[in-house]
Amino acid sequence: MKIDNSLPLEYSTEENSLKILGFWIFLGAEIMLFATLFATYFTLENRTGSGPTGAEIFVITPVLLETFLLLTSSFTVGLGIHAMRIGKQKAMISFFSITLLLGLAFLGVEIFEFVTYVHEGAGIQTSAFTAALLTTLGTHGVHVTLGLFWGLFIILQVKKRGFTPQTTNKAFIFSLYWHFLDVVWIFIFSFIYLKGMM
Amino acid sequence: MDFFDRFAVPHPSIAIYASMAAIGLTIIAVIAGITYFKKWGYLWREWLTTVDHKRIGIMYLLSALLMLFRGGVDAIMMRAQLAVPENTLLDAQHYNEIFTTHGIVMILFMAMPFIMFFMNFVVPLQIGARDVAFPRLNALSFWLFFMGAMLFNISFVVGGSPDAGWTSYFPLAGNEFSTSVGTNYYMIAIQIAGIGTLMTGINFITTILKMRAPGMTLMKMPMFTWSALIANVIIVFAFPVLAVLLAMGTLDRQFGTNFFTMDNGGMDMLWANIFWVWGHPEVYILILPAFGIYSEVISTFARRNLYGYKSMVGSMAIISLLSFFVWAHHFFTMGQGALTNSIFSITTMAIAVPTGVKIFNWLLTLRKGKIVFTTPMLYSMLFIPLFTLGGVTGVMLAMSAADYQYHNTMFLVAHFHNVIIPGVVFAMLAGLHYYWPKMFGFLLNERLGKWTAWLLSIGFILSFMPMYISGLDGQARRMYTYSEAAGFSLMNMISFVGAAIMAIGFVLIVYNIYYSTRYESRDISNDPWDARTLEWATHTPVPEYNFAILPDVRTNEAYWDAKKNGHVLFKGEFKKIHMPNNSGIPFIMSCIFFVWGFSFIFSLWIPVIVTTLGIFGCMALRSFEQDHGRYISVKEIEETETNLRGA
Amino acid sequence: MSQLFPMKQVLGFVFSLLLTTIALAVYFLDMSFAVGMTILLVTAFIQAGLQLVVFMHAGETKDKGAIYTNVFYGLVIALVTVLGTLLAMVWDM
Repeated sequence: MKIDNSLPLEYSTEENSLKILGFWIFLGAEIMLFATLFATYFTLENRTGSGPTGAEIFVITPVLLETFLLLTSSFTVGLGIHAMRIGKQKAMISFFSITLLLGLAFLGVEIFEFVTYVHEGAGIQTSAFTAALLTTLGTHGVHVTLGLFWGLFIILQVKKRGFTPQTTNKAFIFSLYWHFLDVVWIFIFSFIYLKGMM
Repeated sequence: MDFFDRFAVPHPSIAIYASMAAIGLTIIAVIAGITYFKKWGYLWREWLTTVDHKRIGIMYLLSALLMLFRGGVDAIMMRAQLAVPENTLLDAQHYNEIFTTHGIVMILFMAMPFIMFFMNFVVPLQIGARDVAFPRLNALSFWLFFMGAMLFNISFVVGGSPDAGWTSYFPLAGNEFSTSVGTNYYMIAIQIAGIGTLMTGINFITTILKMRAPGMTLMKMPMFTWSALIANVIIVFAFPVLAVLLAMGTLDRQFGTNFFTMDNGGMDMLWANIFWVWGHPEVYILILPAFGIYSEVISTFARRNLYGYKSMVGSMAIISLLSFFVWAHHFFTMGQGALTNSIFSITTMAIAVPTGVKIFNWLLTLRKGKIVFTTPMLYSMLFIPLFTLGGVTGVMLAMSAADYQYHNTMFLVAHFHNVIIPGVVFAMLAGLHYYWPKMFGFLLNERLGKWTAWLLSIGFILSFMPMYISGLDGQARRMYTYSEAAGFSLMNMISFVGAAIMAIGFVLIVYNIYYSTRYESRDISNDPWDARTLEWATHTPVPEYNFAILPDVRTNEAYWDAKKNGHVLFKGEFKKIHMPNNSGIPFIMSCIFFVWGFSFIFSLWIPVIVTTLGIFGCMALRSFEQDHGRYISVKEIEETETNLRGA
Repeated sequence: MSQLFPMKQVLGFVFSLLLTTIALAVYFLDMSFAVGMTILLVTAFIQAGLQLVVFMHAGETKDKGAIYTNVFYGLVIALVTVLGTLLAMVWDM
């Protein structure tokens, strides 16, 4: 296999750079996926039927906590990629592990939030508003959950095989995914929660 | 027995029992045939596990032809039912099911795989690549599409067909009015096929952007590759919308949410809105590759370069962007205000401009050309006037005020068939005749081909022109019958005759394939049409690595350059070639998807959970697998090349 | 140790926390809907751009043309979809 040493290891083969570009295009598709969910949410936002409104069920504390957890995890996964590029395997694995733990914590808070909503009578069947809200949040949450498994697999592979063109490529692509989820969360935070509580 | 009751068709008839028997017998015959000829191993090794873009392309083609006949039977049944007033051939329920499946099958399971076939078979050859960027993903795309299509088709005999129209508008498609599992089939089967299509989109954009032959800049790509690139861009941004829409529809139907219901704040119109956010770009996904094929065919058989290359590219880029800006013209009458309608009216009319640019470019390519009337060229020549007619009626429909008259009448039906049949179907058939020799090493019979082209055109005109008239007279679409006093009888009878002529045309295509396979000469060159682009610089049959040496490209007609201007395409010596390994995972994973989809449709949650785990298991397996592909040695390449040159 | 924390990324993180704090103003302070939305739009899109450039290294290879085109194309269509949907479904103009 041809390895180009002038580039970081994750770009070093033809196949690697194909995969990175391909993943970027996938993220383009993800933009539209979440845009559709947002369009639905904004349309149905005030159609609460007999159920509660956003202002009635949103609470700032768990939301802020989630935002902080996800922002920090986006930072640490970035540090993980930096560590990978300077060849520090242990540091990279540590940063990736921290990222996944933060992701797990985020998911925990989100599940707590969902349970609270259901207790307050805002289940997914309650109204058009709750359906759109929980579907949008849920889609993001499912992405995070999948990311946790994916990240775990990558840590295991780096541990077993070290930094190779394949493992670094996977780790880099995972980081793109994780940062993207953070971006989506920023939009959820701003235009679902803060706008709803404004 | 209660458990099995759910699989019964809620509205059975002799036709459905006959289809059940026919499907069952066909499956048994296929299995028995493969076993008798001991082809299971061959089938598994060479086709089910293949990652070769050419073979995947051919499998797309077979699926498309199969579905063409399924959708065609639906069409002829509809026309037969409407041929005379107060007909009782079909009842209302069956008519609803048939127009629904006709639409979905023709758009998603016939036209889509047909363009996928062209993209798979042609694009890597045209850009001088050895395969697509992600060969295994490509196999997965195909198998997901195939399983989605098969799942959709069994709805007819297991549990009931969808019957809410191919647009499946709520509240009609909701639980209250569509009580059978039919609409669940719609949601799940299209979802599975759609995931495959989205992955194809990503795959081909990456392929076209990163894997072109040395020297082929973007502006030196053949026109079909350009059209494929732009169609795939639309796929990548449109199909996620469909995925979300179908997921929300599924939630509404199976999990009691209120997105599109009539109470608790639900908004049925939102379905129509999001459906067309995907649906309108979808028609451009179909038409742009068709335009690409016409461009190749017209410049080949006018024996000159394509007129206005840059404006062709520019107009497609504009179309791709505008295609996302017009969707509300599908529901001008839904009650939004005048400003909204005006905005979408104007954007819609604006699309006619780049489309018109393309028509003029083709006409100017013909000017001063030395035209050769082969079958593909005949289809292209029939396309230009017929398609223009459809385009013009499109501009009529784009005027929102006037649309109140046309909306949901046969006028609309005539319009979209008028753009899709001469636009897409003729292109697919032109391309089929054009690329057939590259795939199979012999030409399709020209005499039969031309007969077919004329039959289809005449049949088309007779079928659809009367609908413009009866539509303006007020005949609504999707009505299963009409009274004699309505005065639509003559027009509908003419339509039926036209449909019958078209049916003869399509049967003639099958006969042509049979006839040509038996009698046509195998002694053809690698370039039987004297064509201009790189796919014709390969051997016939194309070796698995496509090009022993990657071509060196200077212009957008690299092969023509090599033939006429002494440009040397293949410089240097053979080197070993890296190729991907075959894999069974895409096929197995798609089979699991099929079971997942089937269980989901019938709300059988335990199998759904098991298969979901199976799907993630396949993905995890892929993550941990190390597969670096294999190499074809220089010696093998030399042998293959000598053999092919000798042949 | 310090080489594990490159300045660019640390500053990026601090800046993203800052943007979040600014966005929070719409919750804690009393302001009109228009002002609040403007603040949210500005902070959210800057934040997204920050992630794209600082953390996702969007511009580091020769594919950056394709990557940025892809993202902006997606963004334009996404905005048109959201605004067009609101226009047809909610604003009723």
